[in-house]
Formats: sequence, structure tokens, C-alpha cells
Amino acid sequence: MSAERVNVKEKVLSANDQLAAGTRERLARQGIFSINLISSPGSGKTTLLERTVDLLKDSVRLALVAGDVQTRNDAERLIRHGVPVEAIETGGGCHLDARQVARSLEAFDLAGTDLLIIENVGNLVCPSSFDLGESMKVVLMSVTEGEDKPLKYPAAFRRASALVLTKIDLVPHLQFSTEQALENACSINPDLEVFSTSSYTGEGLESWAGWLTDHVLANKENAEGAGS
Amino acid sequence: MHEMSLALEIRSICERELAKLPETRITALGVDVGAFSGVEVDTLQFCLEVVMSERFHGVRCEVVREPGVAVCLTCEQEFKVERAPFECPECGVIARGISGGQGLQVSYLEVE
Repeated sequence: MSAERVNVKEKVLSANDQLAAGTRERLARQGIFSINLISSPGSGKTTLLERTVDLLKDSVRLALVAGDVQTRNDAERLIRHGVPVEAIETGGGCHLDARQVARSLEAFDLAGTDLLIIENVGNLVCPSSFDLGESMKVVLMSVTEGEDKPLKYPAAFRRASALVLTKIDLVPHLQFSTEQALENACSINPDLEVFSTSSYTGEGLESWAGWLTDHVLANKENAEGAGS
Repeated sequence: MHEMSLALEIRSICERELAKLPETRITALGVDVGAFSGVEVDTLQFCLEVVMSERFHGVRCEVVREPGVAVCLTCEQEFKVERAPFECPECGVIARGISGGQGLQVSYLEVE
């Protein structure tokens, strides 16, 4: 029998993308702004979230999803700040996917949520390939990682809408040029919104929290406009 | 190592396609990997061979890398790119748009 070629032309992640589109629509209907936080392990995602929750929880109704390969440690840290948190243990998986996130949303009262923050697995490579249905991706980079991080891992920086530079209180102790790091990041993605922060001293956190609040309010208005 | 998850997803796509083609056997599989898809071609090739051989016998896996294409939003020039930053060869501005090389798709199956 002779071989026959069958054209398929199907996106490999089409199943993931369809689920993500469903999540995006669901969140949009409820007027929820959502971010997918991506960084290497140890960049300070959980600590930034602890500070962010403390700054926002009186004015914004938050829900958090914390992904880790193993343990629920991050989720347990965040729960202590008095907001609903769902943990996703990937059990070896190097990224979150749309199915895991869609399932974790069942645990939340979405009608009573303004801002959903998804803390991805610490990994600067794989998570950037998987759409979770978020409004925006936000990439974190700590000053101890070196200025060339954006050049080494361009996909995460290219697909993000904002960059949070973390641990800037350590800059005096390092040979780290903030200017060079930001120049590298902007050479990959000139449209990045940049926040220089220290979760330790609190520097820059007001402006980061303000940016989140602005998006939360804009999303609410859009949903109300669409509903009326 | 998300290539392993992707290889499993690719195998599911093959199985769905083959379900539409009764009485056939898969002999080859083509996958296009964009230069900016975040997928390592050699790793995906290896993972595909492993997961395909679990269900099928003797399937040739052809993983093809597609070049990246950027578009300059200042002068609208399209140009092939390999590595960031994507500086426009015409006007020197950093191109904001990527118009090719982000995809990852199952291109074809060969059956007999």
C-alpha cells in the first residue's frame, strides 16, 4: 500500500488555547482583571505577592492561584494574608496549563473577585508558551540574576506586558546596572511597563499596586459597559 | 522540559486524526516549530520519538524549524530574524511586531 499524506495543520496547543479562551471570556464577563506572574525560581514572586496583597486587600477583592512543582508552601504563606488562595501542585510539570487554572477557578467566588493573580511555577522558559486565559503576563526579574536575563530568555519578556524588577535594595551590594538591565529588557520588548521594587523596603510597591488597581477599575467599567 | 507535554499533545492530535481514517496505519508525522515558539527542536524530536513509539511502530518524526519574521511598525518592512533585539535593517528601529515563527503545529501525517 502506498503512503498518503494527510494535511493536519493543527496548532499543538489548540486544546490548551481553547480552554484559555474560555477562562478569558469567563473572567471578562465578571469584570476580573488577571495576571500570570512568570519568573525564574527565587526571583521573589511570593514575597512580592504578600506585599501586594497587604497593600490592596482593603480596596480590591483578590483571588490567588499559586503553582509549584511540589509543596503547598507558597499557597500557605499567602493564605496567612487573609485572601482566598488555591494551590496547584504540578507534580513534576514545569509550567501551569489552562486546564489546571480553569479547574482551580471553581474554588473561588468569581462574582466577588476583582483581581486574579496566578503565580506560575518558577521557570523562565516553559510557562511563557502556555496561555492560561489571563489578561496580561507579568515577568519578574531580581537584581541578583544579572542584566542579561532578558537576552537569555527573550520569550518571557516579549510576551509580558509589564516587568517587575525585584530586590532593588540589594543593588548597592552588587555589580548590577539597573540601566543596562532595563535597556536589555526594552530591546526585547519596547512596550514593557517597568516597576523597580523592593519587597523588603517597600520601594516602588505603591506604583505597582496603583497600576494593578487602574487595570482592575478599567476592567470593571468595561464589564459594566458590556452588560448594560 | 515542556517539550514532553507538547509531544504528548501531538500524539493526542495524531490519535484524533487517525480515528477519522479507519484501516490506516501512521508511517510519518510532520511538526513545524517556530523559531520563537519557545520549543527546542532537538528536545521535541527526542520526546516525540519516545511517546510515538509507545503507541505506534516505526513512525518517522520530521520536526522542521520555521524562521522568525519580524515586522517593523515604523517602515512596515518585514524581515527574517534569529535573535533579539530585532533591529529593522531599513530604519534601525526595534521592531515591535513578530509576524512569523511563533507557531507550533502538526503539519501532516503520512498514512498507509
